[in-house]
Amino acid sequence: MIRPIDVHAVLQQSVPGPYADLVTRPTGRAVRERIELTITDASVLRMDFTGVGCIDYSCADEIVAKLLRTVQVLLLRGVTDAHRLAIEPVLQGHGLAVAIETGAGLEVLGPPEAAALVAEELLARRLAERTAGGTLALTAA
Amino acid sequence: MTRLVDVPAQFDDRSFEHFAASFAAGAAGGERLLFDAHATEWASPYGLVGLLVAGQAAHATGRERPLLTVPANPRVLSYWARAGFFQQASLLFEIHGKVPKVKPAEESDVLLPVTAVRAAEDVHQVVSHIQQRATAILTSQLGIDPKATMGFAMALSEACQNIVEHAGTGGWVAVQHYEWRRRLAKRVVVIAVGDAGVGFRHTLEPTQAKRFGDRWGDGAALEAALIQGVSRFRDPGRGQGLKGIRGYLSRWDGKIAIRSGTARIAIAPSWDDDAPLTEGLSAFPGSQVLLIIPEQGTGTP
Repeated sequence: MIRPIDVHAVLQQSVPGPYADLVTRPTGRAVRERIELTITDASVLRMDFTGVGCIDYSCADEIVAKLLRTVQVLLLRGVTDAHRLAIEPVLQGHGLAVAIETGAGLEVLGPPEAAALVAEELLARRLAERTAGGTLALTAA
Repeated sequence: MTRLVDVPAQFDDRSFEHFAASFAAGAAGGERLLFDAHATEWASPYGLVGLLVAGQAAHATGRERPLLTVPANPRVLSYWARAGFFQQASLLFEIHGKVPKVKPAEESDVLLPVTAVRAAEDVHQVVSHIQQRATAILTSQLGIDPKATMGFAMALSEACQNIVEHAGTGGWVAVQHYEWRRRLAKRVVVIAVGDAGVGFRHTLEPTQAKRFGDRWGDGAALEAALIQGVSRFRDPGRGQGLKGIRGYLSRWDGKIAIRSGTARIAIAPSWDDDAPLTEGLSAFPGSQVLLIIPEQGTGTP
């Protein structure tokens, strides 16, 4: 089961004030804990980062890395180059990977071994398929 | 009885040791301190934040509130006011001299006025503010790729979080950009973050002192945090902040220096001749972080 999460909306519910940035560890913790309340039966999360401004390393660690202790696959969408700056080193540090929806298909971000496992998981769950060019494309809308 | 603490005429990270030595000598005596800035002609964000840290430390000892003599030069005085310094200083010092009433933050080279950081919400406000103010300046005046301006906000956020997470007290952050004629002949953005908290050594001592053995001290603690990415937490996700700041500064030929206790560590690019590690400095409270990002693409002189 894929559970959609609007990260910007969760952020708004989690911090006082109209902030669009995922910064500080307490904020990351609050956002993650709010997400965890809703995903007890989900093994795949589709997290939409549209509307989120800056993400720092602490928040990326608290949200992305720690959610991967609970769910098997994270599908991220609405991820900007600036978001990747924070997410990628955190994934490297933990040896974890996530799938990012791009306009052209799916990109698995993370160190090679972890990325290969995520790609296999996506294919096994029929959430993705190999394109003629060998890349991954999402099957489930 | 009052002890005088000299504020240097040009008050930045280079002259900071003179100030720290004067503060350490004054603080050792137990008398009321008078911070004398009347002859100060210029102060970087690092100087302004450092002055507040010293004021906070002096204030916290239970002695009489420290005195501060404001700069005599009206232009300097006005600039300090626009940089938001006196708003914070008035909470710590008994200020001597007339302070102009000006609105902070609207000055073009003050990207972020001197701002108190005590909790995560303060960091949110800092990051939100800096994105509104800094993007145009970083791209048009420093030649930094617009996509990379978010990295600037990330670096700032992580630097401020060191206060919230580790200092055990509040601190300050300030960001300015200016022409750095004497040292680099380029425009630079300077971020200064400081607190009068427990410092890196105290924070890391429970988990790192044994590993370093006889070498353990302020310098080793700074080395562990900045170079080795060590955190007091066992969680492998910790310690990413300073590593991330280093990565961002490396990409943009920037500099980071951290002073804590009696030591100072720096990762300096080719345009700077700062020592990698200096130990045996005068004791100064808490931690002070300096980040400098230079204008891109015109070569070093």
